[in-house]
Amino acid sequence: MIVNELEQKLRPPEIPLKPYPPKVITLANGERMVVREATRDETGVLLETVYPLVGVPKDFYDIVAARLYAEILGWYRHRVANEFVLVGAIDGEIVGIVNSRLVDEKIGMSLHTLTIKRGLRIGAQLFAAKMEYHIEILGQNEVWIVAESPIGFRRWMIEYGLENREHLYPEVRHELGGVPTYVLTRELYFAVKDLKVSGQRPVPEKLLEGSRPLTPPEEYPQIPGYKRSKK
Amino acid sequence: MRKIAITGIGHTVFGNLSDFDLVDIMAYASLDAMEDAGILDKRDIIEQVIVSNMGAGILNHQTGIASSLVSRLGLEPAMAELVENGPASGGSAIKIGFMAIASGFVDVVMVTGGEVMRGVTGWEATDFVATLLHPEAEYNYGLTLPAFGGMYTRMYMEKYGLTEKDLALIAVKDHENGSKNPYAHVKVPCTLEGIFESPDADVVNNPIAEPLRLYGMCPVSDGAASIIMCAADSPKMKYFTQKAPVYIVGVGSATDTHCIHQRENPLELKAVRKSAEMAFKMAGLNPGDISFAELHDAFVILEVAISEEIGFFNRGKAKEAIRRGETRINGRLPLNTSGGLKAKGHPLGATGVSQVHELVKQLRGEAEEGRQVKNPKHGLAVNFGGFGNNVVTIICSKG
Amino acid sequence: MIDFSVYYPREKDVFARKCPGCGTLYYPAPMVCKKCHSRRDPSGAFFSEWEKVSLGGLKGKLLTWTKLYNLPKGFNQRYLLFGIVELENGLRATGRLSVEHPKTGMDVVARVGLVREKIDEDVYGFIFEKL
Repeated sequence: MIVNELEQKLRPPEIPLKPYPPKVITLANGERMVVREATRDETGVLLETVYPLVGVPKDFYDIVAARLYAEILGWYRHRVANEFVLVGAIDGEIVGIVNSRLVDEKIGMSLHTLTIKRGLRIGAQLFAAKMEYHIEILGQNEVWIVAESPIGFRRWMIEYGLENREHLYPEVRHELGGVPTYVLTRELYFAVKDLKVSGQRPVPEKLLEGSRPLTPPEEYPQIPGYKRSKK
Repeated sequence: MRKIAITGIGHTVFGNLSDFDLVDIMAYASLDAMEDAGILDKRDIIEQVIVSNMGAGILNHQTGIASSLVSRLGLEPAMAELVENGPASGGSAIKIGFMAIASGFVDVVMVTGGEVMRGVTGWEATDFVATLLHPEAEYNYGLTLPAFGGMYTRMYMEKYGLTEKDLALIAVKDHENGSKNPYAHVKVPCTLEGIFESPDADVVNNPIAEPLRLYGMCPVSDGAASIIMCAADSPKMKYFTQKAPVYIVGVGSATDTHCIHQRENPLELKAVRKSAEMAFKMAGLNPGDISFAELHDAFVILEVAISEEIGFFNRGKAKEAIRRGETRINGRLPLNTSGGLKAKGHPLGATGVSQVHELVKQLRGEAEEGRQVKNPKHGLAVNFGGFGNNVVTIICSKG
Repeated sequence: MIDFSVYYPREKDVFARKCPGCGTLYYPAPMVCKKCHSRRDPSGAFFSEWEKVSLGGLKGKLLTWTKLYNLPKGFNQRYLLFGIVELENGLRATGRLSVEHPKTGMDVVARVGLVREKIDEDVYGFIFEKL
């Protein structure tokens, strides 16, 4: 598509990103979750999936959903530089979404992790996949991390042994909230990789095809009584 | 000894109930038991209320909760006390209620156990449970109950050749039962492939206290359970017409050293053995007479170890029964038909009462489809306090 | 007279207690001896406090161990190793294990180090190391 000159001025310069090689994770209940990159033409179903959670104040779902919604739109409309979105899908139904952006070739800025299907550690798997993308596939040196939920954040701090960069504040700060940040370095990532990163590649053809098209979840455990098809 | 019947049972869903008040949750289960017993409008026949709970003072900032519960239920002036025996609070509370009736002091007792642990972070809940340990020789180190679960599991595996696959098989069975239990905290079943065989299993079923993994230990849960007991020879039995009574025929308890390292043989759970011997003696039964059992599987290894200490299997041999599927719902000796602490959940104060709730439900033939034991005659529950330093065994029989 | 020992830095050691009646060692100490029924009084007011026997530096065998990932409140490490050890004097103890690849039965030595920081107080305990 030839882009209008003025529109071009509003688009940030992009670093060409190596694509994320899809993988499949066998969850504890035997279901297979395909983890792959989402494309801009899947924006509709992504936004549809995230939207209902904007109305759930419990466990910080509202702010995570609202910000993720904005970030997906920003990515879609080319108003955010170097963002990527990974989805977890079981038989095509979206069970979790994670996103991040690259500050430059060497530094990544982790944005959000949204889990819809609970009880199967999907959030933990997708967060790890995000880090795998930054460090192993894109070859970055470090990823800056923060979270809305204090409990969730502390879990990452401890489980990944994140490096504390509080002393470099305010020069070094995370763009979500402008807070002092904690960082996952290459060294820290490889120290915990075996415990955190799972999944098998390549994804069998049938499973990968099954993850297209993506469908939004029929139900949300966070919203009792909600049924998408009832709308 | 007076014959004692359980005439009513109640239970809440186990899970995350931290939005609600602890005493409200216990009242809910108590009222369920009263309705089950058919005495909601005659509840003043309850003479003694015994509450089992471990953390109200530490986690919920409430004390004197037995008195609070009585008021929440409008049961004044019934007598009411709290029994705290760590994770065995429920079993102990039932034992004390049993003693109150057997001695002739009262005729009708209600025992309600409850816990709300999810209102604090996981680290605080872990720390709270760790207060059970010896302050100087264990707690100070940052040791936790799961750490002892892990160390015990390692000793057991090295001595008797139990494998990680065996531990996974138990978890799969527990979750299979739990998925059919409407009260269970975790209703999603897990598969052997998902937690053990697949190349992702190492990460999906991550180690917590090696060699114990995520699917080797129970969740942190909130919830309450309640039972109502009445002396079979009491004139008050005439009020309990709704359901056939189930009888408590054997009760036993025993203690062991506080520090695990001070035990003569750390692999032996003497308190389990002694409490079971006492209960069998009182009931006039043998391990072979038991149709099914609820064994305190806060860590899946305990289902194995406790089943051997009681005498269901010879020492080290439980693994053979597990591998043959004998402990599954359709097997020769179904264990943890409710899903156990593993899938049903483990609100510390409620567990002992919840175990007996399950015994009664099964003996009445009221369990949900797919998890009803065929024609059970006698059921046994072991409620394990500390790391085996205070254990209660209860045996119930069909009327 | 002033007891100046209270101003000296605290001894960094872990102690067993010895029964004055029959000499049995205990760790941790009870309030009465199981064998000869001698009583113990930490205040020393009516009965004696029992004699301290140093356990730091003793050798032992590792009976069992675990690598614990989910630590309680107050600990920020990703994991810690713990073990139960049988010491050369027959007593057993539980403590931190400072061995990256432990094996049941391995020979260890009981060092004493900082195991927990409490408000206004450092707690010292066993850190077992490879012999």
